[in-house]
Amino acid sequence: MISNYIKIAWRNAVNNKVFSFINIFGLSIGLTCCLLISMYLFKEFSYDRQHALGNRLYQVGTLSIMEGKEDRFATTPAPLGPTMQQEFAEVESTVRLLKAFQDDKTLFQYKAGKDIHSFYETSGYFADPTFFRLFSYQFKEGNPETALNEPNSVVISEDIAHKIFGNELALNKTVHINSNTSGAYDFKVTGVFIPSKTPSHIDARFVMSMQSGEVGPWLKKLDDLANNNLFYTYLLLKQGAKPKALEVKFDPFIQKYAGKELQASGRGRKHFLIPVKDIHLYANTGGNVTPGGSVSYLYLLFSIAIVTLLIACVNFMNLSTARSSKRAVEIGVRKVLGAEKIALVQQFLWEAILLSLLAFVVSLVMTTLLMPLFEQVAGKDFTFSIQQYVLLISGFLLITLIAGIIAGIYPAFYLSAFKPVKVLKGRFSNSLSAISFRKVLVVFQFVISVALVVASITISNQMRYLRNKDLGFQKEQQIVIPLRTSTAKQIYPSLKNSLNASSSISSSGASIFYPGIDNVMDWLMYRQGDASDNTKQVFMNRVDDSYLQTLGIQLVAGRLFSKEFPGDTANRIILNEQALHSFGFKDPEDAIGKNLIMAWAGREMLYPIVGVVKNFHFEGLYTKIGAYGFLLGHSRDYGYMIAHAKTGNIKTTLSSIGTAWSTLNPNEPFEYSFLDQDFQKNYIAEERLAALIRYFTVIAIFISCLGLFGLTTFSIEQRTKEIGIRKVLGASVAGIVSLLSKDFLKLVVISFLVASPLAWYFINQWLQGFAYKTPFTIWIVLAGCLVAFSIAFLTISIQAIKAAIANPVKNLRTE
Amino acid sequence: MIKITNLEKIYRTEEVETVALNKLSMQVAEGEFVAVMGPSGCGKSTLLNILGLLDDPDGGSFLFNGIEVSRFNERKRADLRKRNIGFVFQSFNLIDELTVFENVELPLIYLGVSTSERKSRVEAVLDKMQIMHRRNHYPQQLSGGQQQRVAVARAVVNKPKLILADEPTGNLDSSNGNEVMQLLTDLNEQGTTIVMVTHSEHDARYSHRIIRMLDGQTVLENLMV
Repeated sequence: MISNYIKIAWRNAVNNKVFSFINIFGLSIGLTCCLLISMYLFKEFSYDRQHALGNRLYQVGTLSIMEGKEDRFATTPAPLGPTMQQEFAEVESTVRLLKAFQDDKTLFQYKAGKDIHSFYETSGYFADPTFFRLFSYQFKEGNPETALNEPNSVVISEDIAHKIFGNELALNKTVHINSNTSGAYDFKVTGVFIPSKTPSHIDARFVMSMQSGEVGPWLKKLDDLANNNLFYTYLLLKQGAKPKALEVKFDPFIQKYAGKELQASGRGRKHFLIPVKDIHLYANTGGNVTPGGSVSYLYLLFSIAIVTLLIACVNFMNLSTARSSKRAVEIGVRKVLGAEKIALVQQFLWEAILLSLLAFVVSLVMTTLLMPLFEQVAGKDFTFSIQQYVLLISGFLLITLIAGIIAGIYPAFYLSAFKPVKVLKGRFSNSLSAISFRKVLVVFQFVISVALVVASITISNQMRYLRNKDLGFQKEQQIVIPLRTSTAKQIYPSLKNSLNASSSISSSGASIFYPGIDNVMDWLMYRQGDASDNTKQVFMNRVDDSYLQTLGIQLVAGRLFSKEFPGDTANRIILNEQALHSFGFKDPEDAIGKNLIMAWAGREMLYPIVGVVKNFHFEGLYTKIGAYGFLLGHSRDYGYMIAHAKTGNIKTTLSSIGTAWSTLNPNEPFEYSFLDQDFQKNYIAEERLAALIRYFTVIAIFISCLGLFGLTTFSIEQRTKEIGIRKVLGASVAGIVSLLSKDFLKLVVISFLVASPLAWYFINQWLQGFAYKTPFTIWIVLAGCLVAFSIAFLTISIQAIKAAIANPVKNLRTE
Repeated sequence: MIKITNLEKIYRTEEVETVALNKLSMQVAEGEFVAVMGPSGCGKSTLLNILGLLDDPDGGSFLFNGIEVSRFNERKRADLRKRNIGFVFQSFNLIDELTVFENVELPLIYLGVSTSERKSRVEAVLDKMQIMHRRNHYPQQLSGGQQQRVAVARAVVNKPKLILADEPTGNLDSSNGNEVMQLLTDLNEQGTTIVMVTHSEHDARYSHRIIRMLDGQTVLENLMV
C-alpha cells in the first residue's frame, strides 16, 4: 500500500512541476533555516558539558549593592576561594582563575638559534594548580594533575605548541612571555592540551601558574574580601553537598570577614553559586570569563526557525487544498473502490512526508553550502563530534517528519472528506471554509513577513544611529597602538616624539583605557566635606598630557593636562559633567579647586579637581554615561597610544608608524587598530542580530511570495474562461489585472493591520535595551508595509498581467 | 439480490427541496441484467448511487442479499462495496497518475490481496479484456474505448456480485460502445448481476429488463425477450 502511495506522490510531483518546486523548495529553505538554527542552539546548550566533575563544580558570583542599586558580577576577591574551603566542610576543592586582564594580547618570544621569534597570543589566564584537576582538558603532553604546581609554568594549546615548536615535543621547553599583567618572564611548558570540540565559558589558549611573574607576589598582598574583584572562583562540592544549603551560609560568612570594611564604604555584598554548566546561558553576570549567551536571543532564533518552517508548511497546505479539484476524481474513485477515509488520510500524509523528505535532502545540501556564511554571521564555529552529528541529524530528521505531518494533516483530512458522488459527477468546488482557511494562512504568512520587514528597518536604523552618533570625542582617523610590554611602554615617549614630528600625524597621546574597551578601573570617591560613606562610583583612567587633546574631548571649565603642568601627577583630577552631577556640584566652575577623597587601606587620599570636560561615551550606547575621572599618569601606566592621523593616505601613515616602531622596538611585531572600529565592536551582538533578521526577512518574504505565486497561478488557471469572456466583452488589461490581484492584495493589507501593532510592541522592547536610541515612528511601520506590499504586488501582477494580455479566443478554446 | 421498498431521497438547499426518489420500490434478482432509463433529472443516478452505497437514502428500506444496508456506517459500506460491487462510469474515472495495470490493481490493494496474487489476477483480467499490451500505459495514452475497457477490467477484477454501470457508452462511439456492451453481456452470462443506467435504447436492449423512471418513481417495466 505504502509503495502505491509513494508511487502516486512521486508521479503527482513530477506531473505538477511548478507546485512541487514551490513546495519542495519552500520546505527546503524552511528546513535549512531550522537546521542552521538547531546547530546554533545545540552549540549554545552544550557549553561546559565536557567536565567530568561538572555536576559538582560551581562558580561563585558576587552581588554588590551600592546606592540601592544591585550589580551581579562573576568575579570575586582573591582570598574568597581558599577562605571558603577553610570555612565550609561542603567544599572539597577550589580553583581561582585570573584573566591576563591588562593584556589584550600577550607577547610570546622564543629563541631559535640566534634569532628571536615573537608573536602575540590571546586568551591567557593564571590559575591555581587545581585548575586542570577540576576542569577536564585533554592533555597531549604533560600531566594535568601537576602541570601548574610550580611557579612560572605554562600549559599551552596544541596550536600554540605547533606554532612555536613545530612537530617537536613542547614539554619542558622554555618560552619567554611578556605580559602587561605579570611582566616579562621565562616559563617552562608543563603541558599541551587539545582544545575540546565542546565549547566552554573558559576560552583559554594558555594557562600560567598563579604564582608566576609579578602576579604571585601581588596575590600574596591581597588579603581582604571586599576589594579587587578580579578573580573567578570555582568550588568543587563534596558528593551529596547541597549548593542551596551552602549559599545560605554565605551572608554570615561575608559579615564575618568583610562586614566592617563594606559598611565603612557604604556597600553591601552577597555571594551565590552558579553550576558551571549553566554559566554560559543562565549566569546573567557581568564580566564573566567570556560573555554569556542570551537565552532570549536563543528563543528569538528558535521562533524564527519555527516560523520559517511554518510559513513553508502553509504553502504546502494552501497549494494542496487549492489544487484539490485536480485530485477530486482520484479521491472519488478510490472511495468507490473501497478506500476508507483513514486510508486516504494516510495516503495524503505519506505524500506530504515524501515531499518533506525530498526537501530534507535538498536542505542538507543547502546547509552545507551556507555553513561558511552562517558561521560568519553567527560568529561561531560549527564543528561537532561524530556522536553530536548523529544526534543532530536524527533530531533533524524527526523535525522533517513533524513538518511533513503538519503540512499534510489539514489537506489530508480536507481531501479525504470529499463525497465521491459529487466529485465523480464533476460538481466539485472548493468549500467556503477551505477558502477562508487559506486566506487566514496567507494573512499569517504576511503578518510574519511585514513584522520582520519592520524589525529589519528599525534594527538597521538603530545600527546606523549607533555608528553615526556624536560620541563626544573625535573617533575618526584615530590609530590605536597597543603598548603591551614594558619595552613598549619604555619606548612610548620616543615613539610619541617621532610620530609628532611626522607630517601625517596631528597629535598623539596615551592612556590605560580608551573609549569602547572595558574601563575596568572604577573607584569609590566622596566629596570633601561629605560623609565618608557617601561614596560615588567613578570610572578612572590615567592619561598623558596630550591624550584629551588628541581625542578632542571638550573642556567646559578649568583646564586640561598639558606640558605646562607636570605637577598634575600629584593626583589632580579632571572630571566629566556626569561626575559633577553625581557629587552635587552646582556648576563646573564651582567644582574647580574642590577636592574628592578616596579611602584606601586606611588612608584618605585627596584629589583636587583642576578641570571639567563634556560628557563623552566611554562605553557602548546601551548605558547612560557614568561619572568619569582622568589622572595624569606615567609611561609605565599606559596600555595604548592613540595617534590622530591627518586625512590623507592612511597606508603611508601606518607604514611610517610601523617603521618608527620597528626601529625603537625591533623584537615586537607592530600592531594597530582604528578607534571607530574598536568602538563599533561593542555592537557585534547587535550587528549579528541585524544580519540574521535581515537574512530571515528575505527568506520569510521569499517563501511567502512563493506561496502567493502558486495560489495566483492556480486561481488564474481556474478563471481562464472568465478572463476570456470578460475580455471579449471589452475588459481592459488593467481591469483584469486588478480583478485578479485585488483578492490577494486585500489579504496583504489585512496582514499590515495585524502585523503593525505586533512589530511596534516587539521593536520597542528591543530598543529599551539601549540608553540612546533612534526614534521609532509610524513611518517605519508604513515603510515596512509598503515594502511588503510592493513585493506581494509584483509577485501577483506578473501572473495576472500574463493572463490579462493573453488572446481571449485561446482562453475560451481551452474550456 | 436487491430489494428496495419505498425508497426516498430528497435534496434540500436553502430555498428549494427536490425529491429525487419518491417512495420507489424495485427488485433485482441475482444474475439479472437490468437497464434503468428515463429523462434527465428523473432520479436514475441517485438510485444508482444508493445501490452502490455511495449515498444514503432519506427513507425506505434497502436489502442487499437479504441484509438491511440503508443504515450502514461509512466503514461498513466501504467494506461491503469493495467486496461485492464494481462500478463503470460514463467518464471512465481512471486515475491519471497510475498505469493501466496499477488502475486495475487498485481494488485488490484495498482488499488486502497479496502482491503475487494481484499480479496474476490483474493480468488475467487484462488479458480477457484484450488490453494486456497496454498494461504499462497511462490513461491519457489510450483511446476512449480502451479506457472504458480498463474501467470495466477494474470493476470486475475483484469478482463482484454486482456491477453498476452509469451510462457506460455515453462517451464512446458506436463501435467502441458495442464492444463495451458485449463485455458487460459476457460478464452477465458468467453470473454477474448488472444494473445499468442509460439513455440509449440500443444499449438497453442488451438487458433482460428495462425499468423506466419519471420524477423519482418507476413508471414502467419492459421485459426483454
